[in-house]
Amino acid sequence: MLKKEFLLIMRDRHALAALFIMPSVFILIMSMALKDTFSSDRAFINYVVIDQDRTAISMELATLLKKNRLLKEYQQHISSKKQLQQALNDDLTFAVTIAVGFSKSLGNENPAVPLTLNVASDVQQNVLRLFEGELTGILMKLRIKALLHKLEPALPGISAKTDARLLDQSSLIQVRFNDLQNSQFPTSTQQSVPSWIVFGMFFIIIPMSTIFISERRQNTLMRMNGMNISIPALFTGKIVPYMVINQIQVLLMVGVGIFIVPLLGAAPLTPGNSVTALLLVSTGLSLAAIGTSMLIAVSVNTVEQATTIGGILNILFGAIGGVMVPKFFMPPAMQSFSIVSPMSWGLEGFLDIFLRGLGPRAVVTESFALAGFGLLMLLLAWGIFARRTGKGL
Amino acid sequence: MIRINNLTKRYGDTAALDRFCLKIERGIIFGLLGPNGAGKTTLISILNGLTRFQEGEVEIFNLPLRQNLRQIRKRCAFIPQSLAFYENLTVHENLRFFAGIQSITGRTLQDSLDRAISVNHLQPLINRQSATLSGGEKRRLNIAIGLLNNPDILYFDEPTIGIDPESRNDILNTIRTFKDDNKTVIYTSHYMEEIEKICDEVAIINHGKIIRQGKLKEMLQQEGSNSAIIELHKCGPTRLDRISKTVTGLRVLNPDTLLLSPQNSGVMAKLLTILEREDISVRQIRYQSLSLESLFINLTGQEQSDV
Repeated sequence: MLKKEFLLIMRDRHALAALFIMPSVFILIMSMALKDTFSSDRAFINYVVIDQDRTAISMELATLLKKNRLLKEYQQHISSKKQLQQALNDDLTFAVTIAVGFSKSLGNENPAVPLTLNVASDVQQNVLRLFEGELTGILMKLRIKALLHKLEPALPGISAKTDARLLDQSSLIQVRFNDLQNSQFPTSTQQSVPSWIVFGMFFIIIPMSTIFISERRQNTLMRMNGMNISIPALFTGKIVPYMVINQIQVLLMVGVGIFIVPLLGAAPLTPGNSVTALLLVSTGLSLAAIGTSMLIAVSVNTVEQATTIGGILNILFGAIGGVMVPKFFMPPAMQSFSIVSPMSWGLEGFLDIFLRGLGPRAVVTESFALAGFGLLMLLLAWGIFARRTGKGL
Repeated sequence: MIRINNLTKRYGDTAALDRFCLKIERGIIFGLLGPNGAGKTTLISILNGLTRFQEGEVEIFNLPLRQNLRQIRKRCAFIPQSLAFYENLTVHENLRFFAGIQSITGRTLQDSLDRAISVNHLQPLINRQSATLSGGEKRRLNIAIGLLNNPDILYFDEPTIGIDPESRNDILNTIRTFKDDNKTVIYTSHYMEEIEKICDEVAIINHGKIIRQGKLKEMLQQEGSNSAIIELHKCGPTRLDRISKTVTGLRVLNPDTLLLSPQNSGVMAKLLTILEREDISVRQIRYQSLSLESLFINLTGQEQSDV
């Protein structure tokens, strides 16, 4: 039984492509596509400083903005209001205008000359807040400096003492990602590999259900039934090979993450510290995928129905479960709803292992939930299959 | 060998088999005939334990079927009409797989494989992927799988459907050899000449009941030696239908041919009078020995094309 199932899969080029090539390609593409989203090295906000004040302070403000790696200075010169409007309609995001007298008023109790920030109309609120925050931080530093300079006659040397510290942000803030070592940070590979492993594993719905339906339509299952093959034996003959295939998928995709993705310039996958945890999640996920496949296989009548329903279910599970769109992008209600998708449980398990470096204890709930879901689907499939075949006298 | 008593199988309100009784002896080739929906497939499914039944008794090898299903199945084989094997596997892989799931191992496995392969002339095809076989070769593989457990009873459900005459002959000859090994064959087919060629006994089923059963030769003799086929010049089916209702034993075979059953040959004069009155001219009257096909049509009231 096991050998037969392996041979059938291995000789089905479409199934092989769906099970092994498609998720591997997904991992490569998504790791590359999202590479910069998780990187702190890429400047993605365009800005320009229009310095009408032309003082040491206004120039320092421009210099400090240049130091931020998320910001990229706009290259075209802007000398008129019309040019500014045009640039903001094109690809400029922010324009900071430093009016004459700004530097002078900065050290006053109530600065009379504020900065003007012109913003492109399609800017997202979170990007605006980020730029405002950056600008506010710089202004605060400059203002403290200006105030210290005023205090210099009364407290000699105070400016020199505090200047360096003011500009060193790392002495004020240390960024540490939850559950990661100090030196570690999440990469696009760590984010995307778990998603596509989960998605790829559920793709066994298509070959598994189509083979089963072909067997039923060709009366091969009926023939086996006449040869005293029981439903448990028949189901076991399906479950075991596909569990092995799922494990091979996991190995392959982890391998792609570790060895192939870095060749294309993205960060390599760090596989976590626990093989046991990986086995727990992947076995649970495999049972869930196999159970769903069997339920579809016994419930529908044609291969076309199986591929359509299987495909749609896969995409729905993926969309709800945070595979297509990471859960942290979703609104709270949607994040709560994502719990209905078994892909979400599997994804959380893999993120615990790959992203947070956790062990078996952390993934035991997800793993058992997945296995329970899979067993429930298998029981339902068993019931439907027994009823449909009129098995037993 | 097989004894069926008052077997009833209902699908909802419809009885597929209605107090059905049948006895089949060991070592014969038994033909099962009947129009679509007569109950043939239901009967074979029940005998193979693939369908439940509501009432009656079924005994195979003198064992009640319900209580001894697993044991009985080990000595039977069902060769379905569809090609029930894996097209992506080779001939050998298919045979190995179906032998494996029947727990045929060791020396017995090799013997079973050798027998199934040689009886069905599969040796040159053994490493071919099953999908690449011709229609006849696929049918032979389908039969070979059924022989793996060296069964005492073989159920064939239309085993020659859709293949060329040469392959069909080949398969029929193979089936005939099973009788020499004292195996019992239950055979259903839509091809009457096949049944006439290989079967010792037949049962004609209609509406879930047996309407005739017996040794084929005796049955054809008993039903009469001659039947009359009356060929007419064209006259339209409506008129013929009306006439057929007035003469006992008369059937319309096609728009210009009538069949008068042998036991009613005395009414030939009456029929000719009616035809003359209706101004229908007769082209030819032929007397011929009753074929299974004629008998089947007479008994079921349907043409072969409806079967």
